[in-house]
Amino acid sequence: MSPRFRTSILMLAVAIAFVALAIVSAAGQARPSTPAKPAAKTAPAAKTVTPPKTPWGDPDLQGIYVSDDLMDTSLERPAEFGERLYFTEDELARAAAQLAKEAEADLQEFVRPNARVSTGPPGHWGERARRPPRQTSLIVDPPNGRMPPLTPEGQKRQAESAARQTALSPQRPPASWEDYDFYIRCITRGLAGSILPSSYDNGTQIVQAPGYVTLLHEKVHEARIIPLDKRPHVGQNVRSYLGDSRGHWEGNTLVVETTNFLDNRTGIGRNGNGIPTSDALRLVERFTRVDINTMHYELTIDDPKIYTRPWKVAFPITQEPGYELFEYTCHETNYGMTNSLSGARAEERAAEAAKQK
Amino acid sequence: MRSRFRGHLITKAVLVPVMLWLAVSPAAGQVQVPRIPRMPDNKPNFTGVWQALGTAYWDIQDHSPQAGPFYQLGAIGAIPGGQGIVEGNEIPYQPWAAEKKKENFANRLMLDPELKCYLPGVPRATYMPFPFQIIQSQSDLVIVYEYRTANRVINVVKRREPAVDTWMGISNGHWEGDTLIVEVTGLNGESWFDRVGNFASENLRIVERYSFADPDHLNYEATIEDKTVFARPWKISLPLYRRKERNAQLTEFKCVEFTEELIYGHLRKQTNK
Repeated sequence: MSPRFRTSILMLAVAIAFVALAIVSAAGQARPSTPAKPAAKTAPAAKTVTPPKTPWGDPDLQGIYVSDDLMDTSLERPAEFGERLYFTEDELARAAAQLAKEAEADLQEFVRPNARVSTGPPGHWGERARRPPRQTSLIVDPPNGRMPPLTPEGQKRQAESAARQTALSPQRPPASWEDYDFYIRCITRGLAGSILPSSYDNGTQIVQAPGYVTLLHEKVHEARIIPLDKRPHVGQNVRSYLGDSRGHWEGNTLVVETTNFLDNRTGIGRNGNGIPTSDALRLVERFTRVDINTMHYELTIDDPKIYTRPWKVAFPITQEPGYELFEYTCHETNYGMTNSLSGARAEERAAEAAKQK
Repeated sequence: MRSRFRGHLITKAVLVPVMLWLAVSPAAGQVQVPRIPRMPDNKPNFTGVWQALGTAYWDIQDHSPQAGPFYQLGAIGAIPGGQGIVEGNEIPYQPWAAEKKKENFANRLMLDPELKCYLPGVPRATYMPFPFQIIQSQSDLVIVYEYRTANRVINVVKRREPAVDTWMGISNGHWEGDTLIVEVTGLNGESWFDRVGNFASENLRIVERYSFADPDHLNYEATIEDKTVFARPWKISLPLYRRKERNAQLTEFKCVEFTEELIYGHLRKQTNK
């Protein structure tokens, strides 16, 4: 996908998110008179396959995985689902029908007469889920699928973060690039944001070597190299957006522990949004191949300065035929930043000129 | 009959080990580097942190030391001299391109993509003053460069054709003995070769050769072809050094944020007006 259309796609993503929210809410409100059938097939199979081994004897996790199926699944669970992590068969059938409808709409060559159109790109430019997501939220622990209570510092950062989001309006145009988040600035989406599903370019390629696992994230063109040789972390003063990762095998599961994060940059959310984490953040990821095309991904967030207890996100990522990673040249073509700032300055000049009259 | 059969067995006992030894030995005439790290299938294992030394990142041709563009930086900002990496030291520019290179040089403080933290392209990424790490699997390889977390996959098993031109291009590799040969195409021609404005176009095609000189040194060669810019193909070659520090690893260098004032500073809201 061309990065040039990123801003439009972002707007589209917001629209899709609203639609998805509406669908989810509708599903939640339409309480069936008979209790919903327990979803026997909806929970992922507990058994895991034994993955092939690399020639040097490590479990072989290699391939290109995407999280597209969960692009409309919210991080926190809508309250009406309570402690229910999986959709019922009925709810899944409705979601499948909705996906089929979208797929059909994507094939339409012309806009319907009298259809409402926008200046955004057509829907089929974005990625689509290939099958309905089974989960009601990405958060699996706490059991209610909601983030745990925040510490006072966490509450402070949440308020600051919310203020920043509302700052970018016609009433309060950006003073500089620093008013935008790290993703819009093309710096990074942070570790969690690089793998949490977003509206497009959700690919992650895993390449292994003796002693190393490498993750290449399509957006924003990230690479993480994870040593497996039990070496200690780098010194406390070497800090980074993506942190310092160390990995080891527990059976066929790759366990990656990451520390040494910069303070107050990205959060645990889509594209790195959300409450900025602290320098005490410690992330533990678990990668387990559950069938030949599916990896179960788990991320435990432990940031005692921000959250009152650790919490966990988990979801499947899948290998899809024909999916390739494309170079995401975000910064080189970040015309959106130049245009937003120059537009804001132009409006100020116009307002100044109007005052002079 | 019986004794002849036994003699046959003895001959076999001698011959089989010799034949096995020959099978794992290099083909006749090929010099094998001793004790280089190898993969289970006996291919050389390039996994490791590598870095070029020298001053090719300033200028890939021979150059004398000179003052830097900002006198405030004194000796820190001065440009070291050094031997180039171009074989024969001549870049065979077509006449128009030789003029363009001069313009690039004159305007290098505005035009050099490195100033803006743009992706470095190939081969420039190889000899920038940053380490890079090779991750070699049983099939494909990945190179991750510290600068800007630039990276590329070298497809060995399944060739990939470039769908669009990009900064880092598409790399397809194959082995010739102990040498990894990488063909890079689909480059967008936006990158430079160095900080003095050496350049190419989107018709650039690069063939790189990676081989071990000894366990801690690689020989790197690249043949550069671009019919739009050069009169003939030309070649660079340089050694790559293994970073030997204990637990050597790449350090994140997300330089975008170091360039925002340069790129967008003129659009910052002026508060004292």
